[in-house]
Order: sequence, then C-alpha cells, then structure tokens
Amino acid sequence: MKCARCLLKLQSLRLLGQSARPAAQHGALLQPASSSQPHMLQNTQHQVLRRFHRSPTHDKDRPIPADFFDEDDKKKDKSLVTHDDLFEQVARETKTKATFNKVVEVFIKQDVRRRGHVEFIYAALQKMPEFGVEKDLAVYNKLLDVFPKEVFVPRNFIQTMFNHYPRQQECGVQLLEQMESYGIMPNVETKVLLIQIFGAKGHAVRKYQRMMYWFPRFQNTNPYPIPKYLPEDPVDLAHFSLARIADDRDAKVTVYQLPCTDITESGEEITLPHVVGIQSPSQMELLAKHNPSRPVFVEGPFPLWLRKKCVYYYVLRADPVPPEEKVEEPYDPERSLAYPLQLDLELDRDLGDEESFDVEDLDEGAVFAMCMTSQGDQAVLNQWISGLQQNNPILGRVPTLFRLEQGPRELQGGHQTVSDHRHRPDPETQREEEEVTVEEEPRRSQGMKQ
Amino acid sequence: MMSVNRLIISKSAQIRQLLCTVRHAGKHVVLQRNIRTHSRSLAYAKDLFLGQVNKAEVFPYPEVGNEEAEEISMLVAPVEKFFSEEVDSAKIDRDAKIPAETLNGLKELGLFGVMVPEEYGGLGLTNTVYARLAEITSLDGSIAVTLAAHQAIGLKGILIAGTEAQKQKYLPKLASGEHIAAFCLTEPGSGSDAASIQTRATLSEDGKHYLISGSKIWISNGDMADVMTVFARTEVEVDGVKKDKITAFIMERAFGGVTSGKPEDKLGIRGSNTCEVSYDNVPVPVENVIGEVGGGFKVAMNILNSGRFSMGSSSAGMIKKLIELTAEYAATRKQFNKSLAEFGMIQEKFALMALNAFVMESMAYLTAGMMDRPGLPDCSLEAAMVKVFSSEGGWICTSEALQVLGGLGYTKNYPYERYVRDCRILPIFEGTNEILRMYIALTGMQYAGKILTGKIKEMKKGNIGVALGMVGRKLRSSVGGSVDLGLMGKDGVVHPSLAESAKKMEQNVSLFGATVESLLYRYGKTIVDEQLILKRVADVLIHLYAMTAVLSRTSRSISIGLRNHDHEVLLANTFCTEAYFKNNYWMTQLQKHSPENNDANIKKIAKEVLDNRGYVCSHPLERTF
Repeated sequence: MKCARCLLKLQSLRLLGQSARPAAQHGALLQPASSSQPHMLQNTQHQVLRRFHRSPTHDKDRPIPADFFDEDDKKKDKSLVTHDDLFEQVARETKTKATFNKVVEVFIKQDVRRRGHVEFIYAALQKMPEFGVEKDLAVYNKLLDVFPKEVFVPRNFIQTMFNHYPRQQECGVQLLEQMESYGIMPNVETKVLLIQIFGAKGHAVRKYQRMMYWFPRFQNTNPYPIPKYLPEDPVDLAHFSLARIADDRDAKVTVYQLPCTDITESGEEITLPHVVGIQSPSQMELLAKHNPSRPVFVEGPFPLWLRKKCVYYYVLRADPVPPEEKVEEPYDPERSLAYPLQLDLELDRDLGDEESFDVEDLDEGAVFAMCMTSQGDQAVLNQWISGLQQNNPILGRVPTLFRLEQGPRELQGGHQTVSDHRHRPDPETQREEEEVTVEEEPRRSQGMKQ
Repeated sequence: MMSVNRLIISKSAQIRQLLCTVRHAGKHVVLQRNIRTHSRSLAYAKDLFLGQVNKAEVFPYPEVGNEEAEEISMLVAPVEKFFSEEVDSAKIDRDAKIPAETLNGLKELGLFGVMVPEEYGGLGLTNTVYARLAEITSLDGSIAVTLAAHQAIGLKGILIAGTEAQKQKYLPKLASGEHIAAFCLTEPGSGSDAASIQTRATLSEDGKHYLISGSKIWISNGDMADVMTVFARTEVEVDGVKKDKITAFIMERAFGGVTSGKPEDKLGIRGSNTCEVSYDNVPVPVENVIGEVGGGFKVAMNILNSGRFSMGSSSAGMIKKLIELTAEYAATRKQFNKSLAEFGMIQEKFALMALNAFVMESMAYLTAGMMDRPGLPDCSLEAAMVKVFSSEGGWICTSEALQVLGGLGYTKNYPYERYVRDCRILPIFEGTNEILRMYIALTGMQYAGKILTGKIKEMKKGNIGVALGMVGRKLRSSVGGSVDLGLMGKDGVVHPSLAESAKKMEQNVSLFGATVESLLYRYGKTIVDEQLILKRVADVLIHLYAMTAVLSRTSRSISIGLRNHDHEVLLANTFCTEAYFKNNYWMTQLQKHSPENNDANIKKIAKEVLDNRGYVCSHPLERTF
C-alpha cells in the first residue's frame, strides 16, 4: 500500500514535470493551428528529455495564450464546464471540421498541462455530430492527441493490474466506443497514440484490439453493400435502387422520362418528374404468359431505405394464378435429341434422400416490372405503363388497375410530418384510393414548384 | 500430278474389280449379313446395370471372315498410300481448304460411299471395314470430318430410312462423290433441343411440294453439299389435334433458294467446311420426305446414334501414328547423355498412349462387330461409350505426344499442334460428351429401373425376405466372397492368363449392379436431375465396357496365337487394374454419406460463382484495414 502511494506520488511529480518545458515550446504552441501532428511528435520527444522540476505555482501565473479564439468576446473561460461553450461560441458562425479542429488546437495550446482535458474530450465527443465530423477518423485521432502522453502509462505490473487513472482510461474507451458506434475503424496512428497515452496494456488499447478484431470481420458481411456516397442525381439513384431490388443481372433499366422543367405557352412552369423502370427478360416472359382476362396492378409506393435515405418504388404485379388455371407443360418425349428428359419409372425419391425441407409456401403473384418516380400519381405511372407496352404488347390487352397509397410526401417538400406518412389509409376499395391520389395531385405539383 | 492421279484411278478400278471377284467367291457370307431377318435387341451394356454379364454378346471377340480380311487388306493399302503420299495435311490446315485433287483422289478410292450398298454404286462394306478405313482417314482430321459428315450422317438418312426410289435416285451419285451430302439439324437455338428447330416446311397449295424456310448453323460440308438431309417443322394432325412435328427431307441445292454463309474460322479441322445454311422457300417435292411426315425425330436419333462408333478406331489410328512419330524422337533425342526414352516420365507417356490406343481399338471393333451382326442390333449405348472414351483419350494422348517433344511440339514445324487442335473437336461434336454421358447413364437406368421397380417397391414396403436377401448379399461381398459371373471356370470365355483381370471385372460388375439398385432405391425417377451421379454411373459403365472389350480381344488373340499377344496381355492386365480401382473409387463416391463425395460442395461453389457471374474471391493482395 505504501509502495503504491509512493508510486502515485512519483507519478504526480512527473505530471508536474511536464510544466517544466522550456519557454520555446510555449512559443511553438502558439503557432497557427495547421500542423498538429508534428507537434505531437515533438511533445513526446520532449517528454523523454525530462528537465528539472519546477514549482507548479509558476505555471499558474502563466497568462492564457494571447490568440485565444474568442478574444473578441473577452470571455476568458477558466472553469471546467466551459468547454461546451467553447464549441458553442465557434458554432455561432459555422460548424465545420476546420472550426472543430481549431477549437481542439486552441485547447491544446491553452494550457501546457492540458488541465481539464477529460472534460474537454467528453464535450468534444458530444459536439462532433453537430460539426459533422462524427465519421472522421483524423478528428478522433486529433482528439486522442489531447491526452498528455506517457503520464498515464503504468510503470509496474501492479499498476497494470489495477485500474490506473480510471477517469482518463474511461474517457479514452468512451472515445473509441463512439468511433465504434459510428463504424469508424481506428488506424495505426490511433494505436500509436493509445500506446503512448495509456501504455500497451491499458484498457483503451485493449478496446482498440477488440475493435480491430471485429471490425474487419464485419466490414464485408453485407452481400449487398451500399456505396458510402449515394448518387445525387435522382435518375442515377433510381437506377441504383431498382437494380438493387431487382437483383437480376439481366434486368434492364429504362429511363422513360428524364426530369425536366418546361414553360408552357401560357407561361406556366411545368416540371416533369423522372420515370425510371426496370424489367428483366424473365419478367417479360412471365408477363407474356399472363392471362389477359385478369388484371394487372400498379401498386405502391413502397419504401426502400438506403443508409439514411428513403426512396419509394412502384410495382406492376398480378394476383397469383389460381390453381385451376395453372397448366403444366406436358412432357414431350421428342424434345431432346440426346437423352430422355424424364424416366418412365414409378419409383420416387426415397425419403432418406429428400433434401428439400418443408417451407410454408405462400403463393404470390408475379411482379412484372418496377419503377421509381418522383411523382407517383396515376398520370405519371400511366406513362411508365405505356413505355412498358412497347416491349410487352400484352399490356395493351390487359386491364391495368392503379392501387396507389398515399405518396411519399417527404420526397417533395418535407412539409408533412413523419407521423402523417405513417398513418396510411387502410386498404379501401380501389376507386376511393384512386380518388385520393387524384386529389393529391395539385398539392404535389405545388410542392414541386417550390 | 495428273499422272499420279491417273495412276490412282486405275488402281482403284483394279481394287473394285478385285473386290468383286472376292465377293462372288464368298457371296453367301455377305448376303447373310445383309438379310435382316428379325429385330434383336442387344443388351450387353444394359445388362451390366443389373450386375449381369451377358457374355454371349461380347465373347468371343467378333472376327472378320477370310474373304473380308483379304478385302480389307486390299482396300487399306492404297488408301494408306494415298494418305501418306498425296495428302498434305499442313497445307490443308493452313489454307483451310481441301484441294480439289485430294477430294478427287478420295472419290476415286471410293471413300465417299464406303457403306453404300453395291447396287447403289458404293463399296457396300460393313461397319467393321468402315472402322478400319476410319483409322487411316483420321490421319487428316479435316478429311475425316468431311467424309464423316458426308456418309456417317449426311447420306445415312436415305440409307436407313429412305424409300427404294430415293435410294435409286440419290445414292449412286453420293456414293461416287459426285454429290456431297450434309446433315442439317442444328439451329441457332441449341443443338440437342428439338424444340429449338424453327425451320418450317409448309405444304404448297397443289400439295406437291413442301416449302422450307429457315436457317441452320454449323453445317459440315454446308458450302459444298449438293444433297442435304434437312429437318424442319411440319404441321401434323395427331388424333384430330394439329401439332408441330419434325420431318426429315432430302433437299437438293438445285431446288433453289439455298444459300450458305461464310465458312467458320475454326480452331482445328480447319480444312473441313463448316458454315451456316439458310433456306428461303425451297421447294422440296413430297416424295423427298425421309420416313413419314412427322417422323423426323426418330430418323435424326437413328442417324446420330449410328454415326458415332467409328470415332474409336479413328482416335486409335491417330494415336498409333503419333506413337510412331514420337517414339522416333524419344529414341534419338539426347539429354544428359541419355536418350529421352530412358526417362521414366517419358516412358509413362508412351505406355499411356499404347494403352489408350489398345483400349479404343478393342472397343471400336467390338462395337462394329456387334453392329454387323444380323438383325438390327441397337448398339447406340455401346457406340456412345466408344465415342466418349476415345474422344477423351484422344485428347489426352495427343497432348502427351506433344509434351514429349516439348517446345518443338508447340511449333507449327511439327504436326503435333495440329493433331491437338484437330482432336479438340472430338469431345464436342456428334453429341457432346456431357450429353452422351447422360444418354448412357439414363438409358441404362431406365432399363434397370423397369426391371427392378417391383423389387425395390417390395423392399420399401418392408418385405423382410427381399431385404434379408440384399443384406446377405452385401455381407457376403463385404466379407470378400468371390463373385462368379461365369467369365472364368468351366464355361469360361476369358483366357486363364487374364484370370485376375476377369475377376476384377466381375467384382466391378456385381458392385455396379448393387450401386445401380441403391441409386434407384434412393432417387427413383428423380435421378434425371442428379447429373453428377449420372456422370459417375456413365464413367463406370464406360470402363466396364472397355474392360470387356479388352478381355474379349486379348482372349481371342492368345487363343489364336496372334503375334505379340503377350504384349496384349500386359496391356489388358494393366488397363483392367487401373479401371478396377477407378471404378471402385467412383462407386464408393456413389454410396450414401460417402466422405469421398464432394458433390454438395461442388454444386455450391458453382452456384456461388454462377450467381456472381465471375470469380468470387477477393484478391489476395486486398486489405481490410
């Protein structure tokens, strides 16, 4: 116990030792914020070349650096809770990565002992999403760099065994956890920093190791990866989304209409929505076999989430074929010139070799095509159907019914609340629904004009 | 050149005269062969599926009579001479065309009508002699294919299903080579799917002609054929319902409306002509229908099934030639003060080539002999097996022969690369080997299934007696009890020098019967979809048939004291041992829960690759962090 106390004392002495840096270094701290990384290296070098201890009181007298960010405000923050304010003050103007970095740099320069760094880091972590840097690895590394180096490294096995500098370590782990929750994988720089700060066996380094164990393994678990940045252009986005839903490499995407704005003779501005559809050869085949006396339905909109974006699509489908109408193609023994396609035997597969397992089969109607448009009303969808008709002549003979639900209004203006969208009308009779969509039309076009 | 040609002409005329005299001497023998009294279904290969050896069918090895042997030697010599002196294969390959003089030479030798009966101006030779001639003609792949397209499939339709009038009208000119025939079945859709045939024949208003329109692809001799066997869809009324059925027609280029496309530029057999042929309302008289209207499917099947057997002797002929060429090189070429022939790995290649040639030859002539028997023996299964075995063996052997020469073999200065290229067609045409394997396995399974259905149903019902019988048999064979199928012993047909091999074959056959039974028990009629299983079944059967052929041939050779029959014994025993272990391995794979069987994984790999439409794995140099 005594020994431990001794060690603690020593440790604190070392902490104080940091203040014994030459004045020149203070000068360096005052340099513009652009080059933080070399600083870090410099600092660590200096830490190795430790000087004589000086009285800690000396430092207290040291004035706060002159180039403090919000000098104009004449608000010299000295309390612990002010780190939030520091960010707030910056945020009044712009919240960007640059300003965030600036704040961090200001903090680093402010006090050579980095007093209050734990609070600062917690505050910074909280503010990251506001500044839009929550997914930026460099910023996390920069934040880690705020920790003083070597100070928290255990010096012996007993320290390693116990929770050495628990608050600091917890803070480091918290930082890594936030990285984890945003799916940011640490890099070697993170590792070097963590080892410099907490030693090779600290909790934070352990956390880092665990992350590095799992992250690469989970990185490619999604067989249908979504690109990090979705296409901005609505037509490209529709192309991407449709190909993603269809999951058929033979499917062909057709742009039935490109979005464009026209001015009519009367001077009215008309915005034509984009109509992008997809259909595969097998779907065409199915549609060609469809019984023309049974209707096909245009249904939608259905949501599709791509990361944080929601898009809507429409399908052309039919009801399942009733069992009495299903015709099995009779076996034609004169089909294959090479070998019999069927054996004339009465033996069935043995139960022991039955490899299929029982799945509850739900007979669903075939989906013949899909489309995406920014304006899902009947007129626009009709355009899609007539476009489809060019390659699927049967559509000219099949009655096409529109069963549209309330459209995705967030797409247009975003003036509707989410709860409004969630509240979808119950499936009513078709005509009513059609009326609903017709009603919506004028509103929607207004939305487009804005 | 001309004088040489004339010399040959006079020579072939002499041959014909000689043949005639020989024929007259042994007239009754030939006649007997031509009379087809009763239809007899031949069931050697099929019986193997039941674990039985129908030894009467394959023992003793078929022989030719003395007269025929004389005939053969008289025919073979000039053909051999012609091929070694007149045929410039390198030039044919380079120019992608068989020169007219060469073609004329072939016609003069009568090679365009080898199997056409004498009364129609052909040589009227048997399948056996045809196979013997194929051995020589195969020395040039392009010529072999041209001849085969002409007579093995092109005019075969008229020969086997044509009316007397059709024969009288077409065969003489075809036999003499004045007209060349082609077989037009394949269409752009796909090769073996009759549903893909889109060429249509419609009856003209006066009912005297069919008007044929459509197009065919990959037609050998398509550019130079004067007479074509064309398959087209016709409307046929069956039980009052109008249906589209396939009909075979004899079409002359002279009918008008036939156009052929640009010849295909091929990897091998470059001298043979392959092109697209299209028909634009070609009027074909009604009397030119082969068989009956709507019966084209059967005609096509029969033609295809009977055309394959000669590939065995062709490959064997080619390999024998290659052995000669490479042995010469291996004996003279020195490395480290040793000739190549002294190196084990080179020796192995020669042993392989000799074994393959020996087995192919045995299979081909056994099959040809069976086909020559009176009655209309159905040897399609055997012929398909010969084709699969010899086309694959041919491919391996040509590439090994090339390997003996190393870099030299890879150059165009030597004929090896041409042989490799020419040989590559064998596993593809006349039914790909994959499709033939399906045919082989399924035909046998159908046959065995019909017979075993009752027994298997009893077993499934839990009939103790049947089940016990089966268990008993399994026990006996697992204890190592010998299987006696009658190849050796009192009524034995195999020479005692081959006793070991015969035992091995008997064991294989009996295990095969049990395997087929268990497969039928397990899969029933759904075995059609188990292609990987069927492939092994076909492979086992092919090897069983090869063992049979080898045993039968060698037993005969020993018994009549053929020269070098001791070498045959050596080859036969070596092959049988090899085949025995291969068969055992395949049949082990066919057992339930066999650890040797990787099928599930293979299917899974293929599925993932195909779903991805490409190689799935990440590059080994890729990183995740």
